Amino acid sequence: MTIEFPPIWSLDQLRERATGRVVVWATPSVRERLATHLPWPIAETTQAVPDTAEWLVTVGGGGLIDEAKAARERRPGLKLVAIPSIWGSGAEASPIIVLSCAGRKDIRVNPAALPDAIVYWPELAKSVPPEQQRAACGDCWAHALEGFLSPLASPELRNELSQVIRRLLTLPLSFDPQWFELSALACAGQSQAGVGLVHGVAHTLEAPLRRQQPERKWHHARLCSTFLEPVMRLNQAASGKWSHLLAEYGLPENEIWISLRALFEPDFYRNALPVLRQEWRAVLRDPCSRTNSVLVRPDWLERFENLPCHEQPVN
Amino acid sequence: MENREKLKKLVEDVFLLQPGEFRFDLRREEVETWDSFGVVSLAVGIQEVFGHHLTPAEAGGIKSIGDVIDILSTKGFNFDH
Repeated sequence: MTIEFPPIWSLDQLRERATGRVVVWATPSVRERLATHLPWPIAETTQAVPDTAEWLVTVGGGGLIDEAKAARERRPGLKLVAIPSIWGSGAEASPIIVLSCAGRKDIRVNPAALPDAIVYWPELAKSVPPEQQRAACGDCWAHALEGFLSPLASPELRNELSQVIRRLLTLPLSFDPQWFELSALACAGQSQAGVGLVHGVAHTLEAPLRRQQPERKWHHARLCSTFLEPVMRLNQAASGKWSHLLAEYGLPENEIWISLRALFEPDFYRNALPVLRQEWRAVLRDPCSRTNSVLVRPDWLERFENLPCHEQPVN
Repeated sequence: MENREKLKKLVEDVFLLQPGEFRFDLRREEVETWDSFGVVSLAVGIQEVFGHHLTPAEAGGIKSIGDVIDILSTKGFNFDH
């Protein structure tokens, strides 16, 4: 297998194996639930991990898991266990660390920061609002498709990601425990090849959109979900690579378009376009945009603006 | 569009050059965006525009626009005026 990630433990295994001083970081929405299942107190996430801590157990979304990976980077002896509270980011399975610093994304790769183990606790995601669940599906889809199409992907990696994509096509865009495994596979897979313009847009626009449109609650997964179909339409129009690779790996193009259409949020897209225009130069300079499967040219901004995704019929 | 014009447009787009910045004797160290991501982007663009898939050795060895012209010339592309 080309795609590998940390071992998966059960909650019981975690409770048995995490001995000594354990620090728990948890996103607020799950803290109450954790208190009845984990025997350790929950720390404030902003606190530095004490020198005496031997384990850091982090329960949350991709942002919090990446912060925990950064904490482990600073403390190499610290053991790290990641429990994703929602699928999508796959951060628990990837050596990539994405941190927000003063409105910019600081992205680095450090295999030593990977968690020692992952615990899947799918029930935590059941209470996540449906629109957030759907966006999480878009994040996973973006990793799988952009990794598959990446100019840096090997044939072996493409083969494995094509199997992930086939399984994604069978899932609803809502809660299903399989999303956790597939998100981990998609993220660990793309970490070997890189992502593309969907992520270049998401990384660049997240901070200005949050600042300019706080009522819309923009976040990474929503941006991926919103821009996935438009970017893939532009990729397809600019190069035969999209259709060629899908055919080569036996992927059903029309079914994929139907899934991307189901993820697309036209209202969010329209609201993001003015900010895309403001930030277009930064999008072009983003490292992810520059490893897109197709060369992203400066005149693509007009194509985004003239792409009536919400009106276009699925092929 | 002749090959010189195609290459100029490609390099301007890949490295986000401002009008007037492109030169056929441009070297990698003169272009801020000609980093490892720029190399990937250049390779993708060369495949799209000229249909040549750069080998990793070819891509890694490119230090100037002249090197790009040398590689493509061996594949039959003419960059004479």
